[in-house]
Amino acid sequence: MESIKGSLLKKFETRSMLGLARFKEFLLLLLHYKASCIGLCIVMGIAFLAIFAPIIAPQHYAEIDVPNKLLPPSLAHPFGTDALGRDIFSRVVYGAQIALWVGLIVVLIEALIGTSLGIIAGYFNGKIDKIISALADLVWSFPTVVLALGVVMVIGPGITQVVIAIAITSWPSFTRIIRAKVQSMVNREFILAARSIGESDLNIMLRYLLPNIISTILVLATLTLPSAIISTTALSFLGFGAQPPTPDWGAMLSEGASLLIKAPWVATFPGIFIVITALGFNLLGDGLRDLLDPKLRW
Amino acid sequence: MIYVDAPLLTVKNLKTYFYLSKGVLKAVDGVSLTIKRNEVFCLVGETGCGKSVTALSIMRLIFHPGKIVDGNIIYEGIDLLKLPESEMRKIRGKEIAMIFQSPMKSLNPVFNIGYQISEAPIVHFNLPHEDAWKKAVELIGKVKMPDPEIRAKSYPHVLSGGMRQRSMIAMMISCEPKLLIADEPTTALDVTVQAQIMDLLLEIKKRSGMSIMLITHNFGLVAERGDDVAVMYSGKVVEEGSVKDVFDEPLHPYTRGLLGCIPVGFKRKTEIDYIPGTLPSPINPPVGCRFHPRCKYATEKCVKEEPQLIEIGKNHTVACHLYGE
Repeated sequence: MESIKGSLLKKFETRSMLGLARFKEFLLLLLHYKASCIGLCIVMGIAFLAIFAPIIAPQHYAEIDVPNKLLPPSLAHPFGTDALGRDIFSRVVYGAQIALWVGLIVVLIEALIGTSLGIIAGYFNGKIDKIISALADLVWSFPTVVLALGVVMVIGPGITQVVIAIAITSWPSFTRIIRAKVQSMVNREFILAARSIGESDLNIMLRYLLPNIISTILVLATLTLPSAIISTTALSFLGFGAQPPTPDWGAMLSEGASLLIKAPWVATFPGIFIVITALGFNLLGDGLRDLLDPKLRW
Repeated sequence: MIYVDAPLLTVKNLKTYFYLSKGVLKAVDGVSLTIKRNEVFCLVGETGCGKSVTALSIMRLIFHPGKIVDGNIIYEGIDLLKLPESEMRKIRGKEIAMIFQSPMKSLNPVFNIGYQISEAPIVHFNLPHEDAWKKAVELIGKVKMPDPEIRAKSYPHVLSGGMRQRSMIAMMISCEPKLLIADEPTTALDVTVQAQIMDLLLEIKKRSGMSIMLITHNFGLVAERGDDVAVMYSGKVVEEGSVKDVFDEPLHPYTRGLLGCIPVGFKRKTEIDYIPGTLPSPINPPVGCRFHPRCKYATEKCVKEEPQLIEIGKNHTVACHLYGE
């Protein structure tokens, strides 16, 4: 195992510039770290559920069967049924689609806005920094729910609206952390050295600063992803997000909350899946960060 | 190299101030220097006297709250201070390059050194990546690292200090600059490696015909390898001349003091001389000659009047009231 990892790493290092072949080796290498391997398997598994939901799920997620409501887990309904007799297993499987969509899109938007503004603010001191920081503080102080309400008022309720609302209220956490990280780096001599060989500001930001903060971004992203999934729960609960019968895990969790004693399986299974998804992404992020840390290479 | 009489770089009355909340810090206050072609020009002085700021001003790498207030930096007939930033970027790295004090910090930790060395040729000559990589490997060989092919793939943290400084040198000579500013290139290295790095720099200088501006507080280095030397004190040049003149006949009391500080082994001095007092605050420098509070020859005139650089002998200038008249 160790030697395979070693030879893979060595092979990985011999590529001087980026390429497709490098990506393949990167994936192979990822599988040789235990944590990231488990993480990758979980994420792949969830993605598999999401993509093949119509095939995997025994029933359609909206199929109501009131006489069979609140059945405990059995062979016919592996996760039991909910208050309307819908098969929870099918709903959980379809829910993976929403969870992944919400999580990935929110993180993507957040990371994009947050990182770019963070790097700009950290790199340029003075006025630009002040403006961006003030903007971040302003947005940070704005309650997500109120903003979501506004967005929903304008374009109607739905998952996409919630995604937008969450993404545009929570990027400041990215910006602040990235800004601090960049500020600690911008006075390091290698940035000065980059300037002294005539690199442009944009180049320094993209080719010198960004690769150095990629591990921070990854960790932040993996931390944000589960919280984005949870945030949709709150908004779905208030009726802004997933509209019934959409099988949002968060919405299912809140539906089952009142039935927790009578029918614990209603809330438990979506909850378990939220935990597993969050764990999977965290492990994967951890593994990626380790892999991207040059200190682990030679 | 065709010998052209005009100097490579002339700095005239350079003033770089830092605007701090406590006041204006005059890090460089009216420095004038001339660097000839294919020479080793040394800039010496105590820590904090403005050597590095002078170098960074030449590169125009002074950032907020610092500002170049006044002066001219004429390089090959162009005033660098009047160039727009985009033109200045073309000068950096290609015409004037700079090596920094701590090789530990001046390399990007996330890329291998081959990648970093190939960066400047890509930026300045639009070299394709493969060619730039080949050039980087070649340069690594030129700075005398063993196994350049393998070293190119090494990350900075696996290299020793000397190796990193060699990588820095490779990075900075990749576009064959005409002036290499070396800001205490050997301070962070141990003595044997220091000599190797200096030899390497001089060899490159000889081969390519570039000039080196060597910033140091190591007088031994200046005496051995320098051609011309300027001594700075508190943001000003107090003495400038050829190394031979300045060492044989130091004029300024500060230069004499500095030279007196060097322990001489064979003389078996029991105590090392030192200059009493500390470097004055650059925010509130003493009136008159800035060295007068520490100078044993200080007179009334020194307290009142600021001495100007005057020429004593051929190309040997000093700013001191003891001379002139």
